[in-house]
Amino acid sequence: MDNSPDTAAQDIARLRARDFWSALALIVLALFFLWKTLDIPLGGGNGAGVNNADWYTSAAIVPLGLFGALLVLALVLLAISIRSGGAAQALSAAGLGWSASEVWRFVAVALMLLAYIAGLVPRVDFILASALLITALIASFHGRPEPRPLLPLLAIAGAALVALTMHFPRAEWARHGDDWVALALLVALTLWHQATGPRGTALRLTPVLAIGVPLLLICAMAFGFRQNVPNRGGLIFAKIEYGYYVHLRPIWRS
Amino acid sequence: MEFIFGQLAGFGMAFATLVSDPWTYVYLITSVFLGITFGALPGLTATLAVTILTGFFGNKIPLDYALIALLGAYVGAIYGGSYPSILLNIPGTAASAATAMDGYPLAKQGRGAEALGLTTTASFIGTLVGTVALLIFVWVLLLISKNIASPEKALLALFGILLSGTLMSADLAIKGWIAGLIGLALAMVGMDPILSEARYTFGWSYLLSGIAVVPVLMGAFAVPQIIEGMRHVRAGRVAELNGRILPNMTAMRRYLPTIGRSGVIGTGVGALPGVGEDVAGWVSYGVGKSVSEEGDSFGKGSLEGLLCSETANNACIGGALIPLLVLGIPGSPPAAALMGAFKINNVIPGPTIDPEIILRVVAIMVLASFTMFVLGLFTARIFIKVLRIPQTVFLPLVMVLTTIGSFSVGGGLNDLYLMLGVGLVAYVMNLLCYPIAPLVIGVILGGMFDETFRRSLLLSDGDLSVFVSRPGAALLLTLIIALILGQMPGAKRAIRRLKGRTT
Repeated sequence: MDNSPDTAAQDIARLRARDFWSALALIVLALFFLWKTLDIPLGGGNGAGVNNADWYTSAAIVPLGLFGALLVLALVLLAISIRSGGAAQALSAAGLGWSASEVWRFVAVALMLLAYIAGLVPRVDFILASALLITALIASFHGRPEPRPLLPLLAIAGAALVALTMHFPRAEWARHGDDWVALALLVALTLWHQATGPRGTALRLTPVLAIGVPLLLICAMAFGFRQNVPNRGGLIFAKIEYGYYVHLRPIWRS
Repeated sequence: MEFIFGQLAGFGMAFATLVSDPWTYVYLITSVFLGITFGALPGLTATLAVTILTGFFGNKIPLDYALIALLGAYVGAIYGGSYPSILLNIPGTAASAATAMDGYPLAKQGRGAEALGLTTTASFIGTLVGTVALLIFVWVLLLISKNIASPEKALLALFGILLSGTLMSADLAIKGWIAGLIGLALAMVGMDPILSEARYTFGWSYLLSGIAVVPVLMGAFAVPQIIEGMRHVRAGRVAELNGRILPNMTAMRRYLPTIGRSGVIGTGVGALPGVGEDVAGWVSYGVGKSVSEEGDSFGKGSLEGLLCSETANNACIGGALIPLLVLGIPGSPPAAALMGAFKINNVIPGPTIDPEIILRVVAIMVLASFTMFVLGLFTARIFIKVLRIPQTVFLPLVMVLTTIGSFSVGGGLNDLYLMLGVGLVAYVMNLLCYPIAPLVIGVILGGMFDETFRRSLLLSDGDLSVFVSRPGAALLLTLIIALILGQMPGAKRAIRRLKGRTT
């Protein structure tokens, strides 16, 4: 690691340039929430049937102080950034700070997580959705000289888009059309990974981990801890649950 | 004297109850093992270990057992971080960053086994020192806390957030304060605690009950870790390990004063609100370097340097539990996760906490430190194998673990959306060098601050002098002002001048 004074100075300069942007964002945020806070009665009104005639009992008093303080601190940060030359560098590559490949890697991981949480977990069987995420992340980043997240991202985003378009309303979340699409994409992605991925134990273990870990977790949660789990009507979990309550549980219940 | 005997008897009872329950061992061995594994895997932290286990055990098993699992993981993870520090020169947790300074040079000299033996013993003694301090000072503070009213509580919450912001910020202190304020602002969402006025819900009914703590913890600590781990693949070669991992008793005897001093420093730093094990490790290391006769050899494979950081970071655990149990203010980020477990079990730490819980926590800490010591000495080779698991393989599994843990705590899918949103914001904050711990402390203490601040004003008919007329409040306000003024450029210059004159 290079710890020379020049590198440290460059790091500080980059940080101050980024501070310029974050201070601006914080100022906008603080002003927006100060404006929203004005909707809360500051005195003379009735809240939830309680007379809150005095300013010091108002629900707005603490938020006003907080967002006011946030605005002041953001202005101070902006001043520090400008004085340290952050504003001058803010639009340069140093100010933005990332190379294109870094941005791409971050965007790919963030989109995969978004597709998983917002698209797949509510609508697709949890075991399939999680297996797709695990396979996609390992196939993108493990052991390759250069990460290759495009195809895995397309697979998981495709499954999420199908789930969102086929079964958007909550009433349709238990249907299985999107589960079959996710399963097909999982198989395709696994085959691609096995064909192109770097040889080794991790490659061989990926399908086992991708299916085994979510399977173990959802069974432990549902039958061990008796907790709610995502999408109980999912393609695989519905069968497991049926088998557990109809075939297995009666054995020790009787 | 009667009080001391009473406490010892209470502790003895709690200890005997734990020891005689076979389930204790199931939870303890599993959680300490998991904790060490989490700590040993670079990219996973002690906070993450406690947070994920909170999602799993927080409200699914009785609180007594949940505490065993969470404290066991906490103790194990802080210790486990020393493995990659020594063998890979990559700190497994931030708490072990100082350990790498001397641990890795020792491993390169072929003394890795000796270093691991010493860190195991030092962590064990450190945890016990912190636990003894917890047993003593928790009662002293409980007595004092009986006189704490709303003004003191509000100022204490503010002081904790500001102190955490100041000490946890790697860049400007102002960034730590901003992070704390963002946390406080998040806590304002939902129905206000006095008038039940809806605030910042934007028509989303889920937000009426406020921001849930566990998804925030999961988002703030797990998601950035996963994205960062996938973005920057850190690879290291595990140093060769020769010989058996055994405590070096000669070195332990020789450095006993160092261990004692580091234990006290670690406990003291831990007791500061929101300041974690990493600060404890570095402070103890810095003090050791400046007072030791062998200070020059620190950073080159010094056994004393190794003991300084490892004793302090484990002693910090007991210290961090003192403000958590007595005041409801977490002393460190993992303690914030523990606070989440208390909250979802409807236990409110603070002056009214059930003394049985405190005694049980102390007994668990003693058992957890013994378990950690035994596992550290006899199963270390397993943890060394764990180091070889690449983070690009285990981080996707952690994401699935986090998702199902967060979902099952209560809020369902909404908790997942919140977790992801907080996670992405926390990741960007990490990139911009804003510390995350003050944000989480802000979310946890925000409700208390809002309620006690307004209650103080309500009781004094809006008279702001209520925050200076009581001695405790006046003292806290002075500390807050001093903390803020201390970061002003003029004050910093004056402190530097003063230091220059004294040296």
